[in-house]
Amino acid sequence: MNLSNIQSLPFSLPEALLAVGVVGLFLLELVVKRKAVLGELALVITAAVTCLVAMQSGGQQGLLFSGMVALDGFSIFFKLLLGLAGFGAVWMSLGSNEMRDEHPGEYYALLLSVTLGMFYMASATNMLMAYLALEFVSQVSYVLTGFIRGSRRGAEAALKYLVYGGVASGAMLYGMSLVYGLAGSLDYAAISQVMAGLGSGGVDGAVVAGAQPVIYLALVLVLAGVGYKIAMVPFHMWSPDVYEGAPLPVTALLSVGSKAAGFAMMIRFFYPAVSAYDGDGNWLTAAGVDWQSLLVVASMVTMTLGNVAALRQDNIKRLLAYSSIAHAGYMLMGFVVMADDGLQAMMFYMVVYYIMNLGAFTVLLMVLNQSGREDIEGFKGLAWRGGALPAAAMLIFMLSLAGLPPFAGFIGKFYLFAAIIRQEMWVLAVVGGLNSVVSLYYYARIVRSMYLDQPAEDAPGFVADRHNGVLVGVLAVATLVFGVWWRPVVALADRSLSFFTG
Amino acid sequence: MPEALGLQHFLLVGAALFCMGLYCVLTRRNAIGILMGVELVLNAANVNYIAFSRYGVGGVDGQVFSIFVIMLAAAEAAIGLAIVLGIYRRSGSIDVSQMTSLRG
Amino acid sequence: MDHILTYMTFIPLAGMAVILCMPRGATKAIRLTALGFTIPPLLMAVWLFANFDRTTEAMQFMERAQWIPSFNIQYIMGVDGLSVTMILLTALLCPICILASWNIEKGVKGYFALFLLLDAGMTGVFCALDFFLFYIFWEVMLLPMYFLIGIWGGERREYAAIKFFLYTLAGSVLMMIAMLALYFYNEPHTFDMLVLMDNAGTYSRTFQTWTWLALFIGFAIKIPAFPFHTWLPDAHVEAPTAISVILAGVLLKMGTYGILRFCYPMLPLATQDMAFWALAALGTWNIVYGALCAMAQTDMKKLVAYSSISHMGYVMLGMATMTVQGINGAVLQMFNHGTITAMLFLLVGVVYDRAHHRRIDGFGGLASVMPVYTGIMVIAFFAAMGLPGLSAFISEVLVLLGAWQYSPALAIVAASAVVLTAGYMLWMLQRVWLGPVNEEYASMPDVNAREIVMLAPLAVIVIVLGVYPHAVLDLINTSLTAINNTVLSAVPPLASLPLDVLP
Repeated sequence: MNLSNIQSLPFSLPEALLAVGVVGLFLLELVVKRKAVLGELALVITAAVTCLVAMQSGGQQGLLFSGMVALDGFSIFFKLLLGLAGFGAVWMSLGSNEMRDEHPGEYYALLLSVTLGMFYMASATNMLMAYLALEFVSQVSYVLTGFIRGSRRGAEAALKYLVYGGVASGAMLYGMSLVYGLAGSLDYAAISQVMAGLGSGGVDGAVVAGAQPVIYLALVLVLAGVGYKIAMVPFHMWSPDVYEGAPLPVTALLSVGSKAAGFAMMIRFFYPAVSAYDGDGNWLTAAGVDWQSLLVVASMVTMTLGNVAALRQDNIKRLLAYSSIAHAGYMLMGFVVMADDGLQAMMFYMVVYYIMNLGAFTVLLMVLNQSGREDIEGFKGLAWRGGALPAAAMLIFMLSLAGLPPFAGFIGKFYLFAAIIRQEMWVLAVVGGLNSVVSLYYYARIVRSMYLDQPAEDAPGFVADRHNGVLVGVLAVATLVFGVWWRPVVALADRSLSFFTG
Repeated sequence: MPEALGLQHFLLVGAALFCMGLYCVLTRRNAIGILMGVELVLNAANVNYIAFSRYGVGGVDGQVFSIFVIMLAAAEAAIGLAIVLGIYRRSGSIDVSQMTSLRG
Repeated sequence: MDHILTYMTFIPLAGMAVILCMPRGATKAIRLTALGFTIPPLLMAVWLFANFDRTTEAMQFMERAQWIPSFNIQYIMGVDGLSVTMILLTALLCPICILASWNIEKGVKGYFALFLLLDAGMTGVFCALDFFLFYIFWEVMLLPMYFLIGIWGGERREYAAIKFFLYTLAGSVLMMIAMLALYFYNEPHTFDMLVLMDNAGTYSRTFQTWTWLALFIGFAIKIPAFPFHTWLPDAHVEAPTAISVILAGVLLKMGTYGILRFCYPMLPLATQDMAFWALAALGTWNIVYGALCAMAQTDMKKLVAYSSISHMGYVMLGMATMTVQGINGAVLQMFNHGTITAMLFLLVGVVYDRAHHRRIDGFGGLASVMPVYTGIMVIAFFAAMGLPGLSAFISEVLVLLGAWQYSPALAIVAASAVVLTAGYMLWMLQRVWLGPVNEEYASMPDVNAREIVMLAPLAVIVIVLGVYPHAVLDLINTSLTAINNTVLSAVPPLASLPLDVLP
């Protein structure tokens, strides 16, 4: 189905609810006395939105708003994930001492707007829509990064984010203009037809023969825009600074939400829009435009640089930033195989990554709340001074991030490796494997600090707060369960890989 | 002579603007200068969209796109200036080479 | 006794859960619980030993269940002669190690919980017949090992623990790549090790070579073969006694077990190609190198650690010969080394508990101070030296017999290394147990009842297997002969599969 604007509204309930929430929170801040209500309201809204998205699953598929966005298995999968990411960020904000005194109405409204933007990033099927969604997310993220007034680090991080983001999205915009000029349309469906005709000399005279170099350039420029969202080398430079400078819940949202949304947009653009499906689970790049090998290199460089740089970090936020760069590299392994099983592995990994990374950030938040420290010293002897459960959870998250069984992270990596080995990409497989070993070193540093180091004599005891503890507990159990029995997740990823192109 | 003015001229202007914008971002130390570079990059794309819309087969989509971009650029400039202003109030400088509180 | 292997694997895991629920202060109850949960697997192992059909090479006590059907991952357990021997060894050493850990005072709850997790992982590795399942068990062992060394170890424990962790993980990653390569090479894709073995005839030579190398590096790190051995001395020196015992007694065997279980039957062509350099020559070098290093040590535990490297060299040499004597000798040596090294580490641990150091030159005349202890110690030392009448003699002679048929030069080198072994063993014996009594330790108490309980069974086994090696040889012979024949009779596949696109 391909619906007009008015007809699309019943299918946009989650987005509509988010939009109402954004406006409502801005207004309510003016009238409500007890500000804590606002955060709880935001929590309810994100939960309700996630439920609404879940209800759409398995229903009708189609294009909404005259082909601007798609409602298909793929977008529903990512909206679920992003809704949960928004939920997690709101939950963490409610339990964060940093955020207690800031303007809660505006803050939560902005969090909901980021979520809304990410929803559209995941479902846009038109370059205009994709660009608008990306900019929406980016610009609100700049504000959120520098949200804490008086925080010098936050302001600097916001400026860096803005500059890198502005250039990257500008480059993407320029690349899109080239695609538009060649294909004569902003619509992904139309672009894909033109691309398919590329080998045979053009369709409708829109593409002239010999356009491959231009298309290649255009794709590289688009890659800059999405690559910056997913923190892919060489567009990653902002991420350590921004992760360190931003408030912790925002950092968590950037690392699990923005990255997933960026990947969703990237997949939609590079797969259905510019590649052809052979009907048998494999995708073919447009004739003469070999972006695949470029991304193979990018994947290897991204994971290696992320892991090597993480080795010498003492600030855990910064360490997790580099770790998240490395994980972008791992996820790219699934992106470059040009096959459905690679995409499914990526989607699976994003779920797992959401669980374990959000968990790690929440434990960090508990430590930060207690001690005001976000460096590795804050974790020293955590297990021996009353924080046995948070330490155990952190242990699970760290080993899962390192990719050790029997935790979910291993299964995620296993699927990614399976996808590339099926395509016989041995070099990538070996590089990816060695990177896992390197990454273990810095994850184990945190484990060592928590368990092997004794706390200082005068170290204050650790009291786990219940609010964050609940989230950590749920995520830790999920990491463990999905490490042993992951059938539902993989079934969901399998089912969700369907692009509606009209 | 209108016939002499074709698509490629506009594309060249666009490409030149893009490169100048990029150069500006990479070399400037003043935060405002960098923001102006970003604007140049966006406008380079705008030129392309309008040109393709006029000479290509894309219809008015390109012009619509550029209107959106102008709007977003304004929003981005507003956010950027607000952040720069905040930094200036605190440190009295908008030289990016002095923003060193995040290292590692 | 259906599902006996599952019980053996998961009873320790249940024990871990029970211990985690117990209050932290109940140290005595925790110790007893831990011991209690290692006894049933031991009894089951005895039952397995009694009921194992020694006439067939087929897998026995098979269990099979679906796990993740979409990826064709199954839960398959089963044993043949090779694995049942290793399971016996594991089940035997675990209660002994619990006894050896009785003196642990720090974090008792965590220690025994992790130990039981390690136990489950080890048993699982030897039972698993699905490659994916095997891999999970293999990796599950890393974590408890890291903590057991890292928290309860000696001075440089953190360094030793992370070194062990990183080395083994590097190996496992390569193993995972090889595992997936095998999975996708077979049509339909499968991790079922029996199917992977049955299809061995269809794997092309280049495919086998690369996969073999990836698997071999993973296993060689565990053995540990030169040049991947450097983690071992560190880990042994820092680990608490019981963990050293497990490390040397069981974990090292997993390397050679893996080679016999995967490389031999699944990649026979590559095994033919590689056996000389990667196993025989490297194994002989291990024997000599380990012995020479052992001679230079001043720390008793480090000496025993290097002697392990040397003794594992015999296993590699024996299996490389691809003769019935050699391969049987190799597996018998795995079992014997497991018991003897366990004794050596336990004996060093006994002294360490009393003197709190392990310097060879720091003692003297212990024989007159601790006569019972010295009696047991002499059995272990002479067994390690390969004296006739004790277990290691049989296995080393079998290995050398095989090696002689395979390559007389290597056999001569390996045999001469026995002199080196005798050298460092006797040297240590003389300096620590003979000579004038060191006054500082003149009143050291002799072994107590608990220590006798943990040492005596091993001593008995060492003596019994010295005169009646058939107790183990009967168990392993059929299976090993079959594995050996697979390798010897392998020929390149006639037509390459379409999937075969390796360079």
